[in-house]
Amino acid sequence: MLSLDFLDDVRRMNKRQLYYQVLNFGMIVSSALMIWKGLMVITGSESPIVVVLSGSMEPAFHRGDLLFLTNRVEDPIRVGEIVVFRIEGREIPIVHRVLKIHEKQNGHIKFLTKGDNNAVDDRGLYKQGQHWLEKKDVVGRARGYYQENRSVEDRNCKLQV
Amino acid sequence: MAATASQGGRSGGGGGSSGAGGGPSCGTSSSRSGLLDKGREVFISIPVISLAMKKCNQGWKIDDKPVKIDKWDGSAVKNSLDDSAKKVLLEKYKYVENFGLIDGRLTICTISCFFAIVALIWDYMHPFPESKPVLALCVISYPFFFNEKSIFLVAHRKDPTGMDPDDIWQLSSSLKRFDDKYTLKLTFISGRTKQQREAEFTKSIAKFFDHSGTLVMDAYEPEISRLHDSLATERKIK
Repeated sequence: MLSLDFLDDVRRMNKRQLYYQVLNFGMIVSSALMIWKGLMVITGSESPIVVVLSGSMEPAFHRGDLLFLTNRVEDPIRVGEIVVFRIEGREIPIVHRVLKIHEKQNGHIKFLTKGDNNAVDDRGLYKQGQHWLEKKDVVGRARGYYQENRSVEDRNCKLQV
Repeated sequence: MAATASQGGRSGGGGGSSGAGGGPSCGTSSSRSGLLDKGREVFISIPVISLAMKKCNQGWKIDDKPVKIDKWDGSAVKNSLDDSAKKVLLEKYKYVENFGLIDGRLTICTISCFFAIVALIWDYMHPFPESKPVLALCVISYPFFFNEKSIFLVAHRKDPTGMDPDDIWQLSSSLKRFDDKYTLKLTFISGRTKQQREAEFTKSIAKFFDHSGTLVMDAYEPEISRLHDSLATERKIK
């Protein structure tokens, strides 16, 4: 019965109305897309919102938390900051803290990362033969996070600029 | 519509006409004929009823079937009221719909979707940092394509004497979310004097739909005619 009603509706529409319905759907999808691309442009990062996938940054970040990133050229990466990076050849971004940085006069840097909850640094995760990460591997630096409430004391939503 | 059906009944003559003519929908007239059990009156009533039903079908019903929608779905209610108003204006008064406004709106929305698709493909071809200017352009221009006016019908009437400009009638409506008050506004723009006059009414949708969600044209159509006539008569006085 339900499908017949739907077919009746479609038959009742002339081709303009049908096209309008399709267009409506397209507009919704396009709006979502444009918001995402707009965020990409504003933050300068190719993935402005990421989800924490593992527990390697506990107790700061737990699995399932949202991180808001920026990747502006004028903000230098410093030790102690939390960066999201991709290792060459791997798709999944990793959220860890910067441990050591080597910086040249011309601004070129290479840095080492480690997860707060891990026992060793990330050299084991990097590509074969790679010992340092570079700016081009960085997806963005964490600027704020959103955590679903776990217990009453832990419920927080902080945004730092 | 009801008037012509009952006239057809009366011209058929006999006691059968009172039962057959004047029913609000064609379905009920046949059930009333079942009540007429006396042989002679049944004999007379059958051609009367068939004539009434023929007149019924010649009148305008949307797709020969009363419109039935989910009465709790606000957008379906608004769409069916808008469509019925359109039908009244186009079929009863024989106006010609002008698709220019609707087509313009459709093309603008299509262009905005096109911009979004261009942004998507460009970003895929040239990975992120290089595509920033193109993305920025598309994202900024996208909101300019939105234009939410509530006019859903532009119709014009050809001047019978053949003098140039046509009169334009515009219909626009609004129904707030989770509200039952439906506002229909009819705007008349005279072709000759370029004057604009409007009339509107705000009524609860409960006045036009019955409990099963069927739109009762007999309650809706007089409202529209009243709006139309109020604008048309002013024109004649002036």
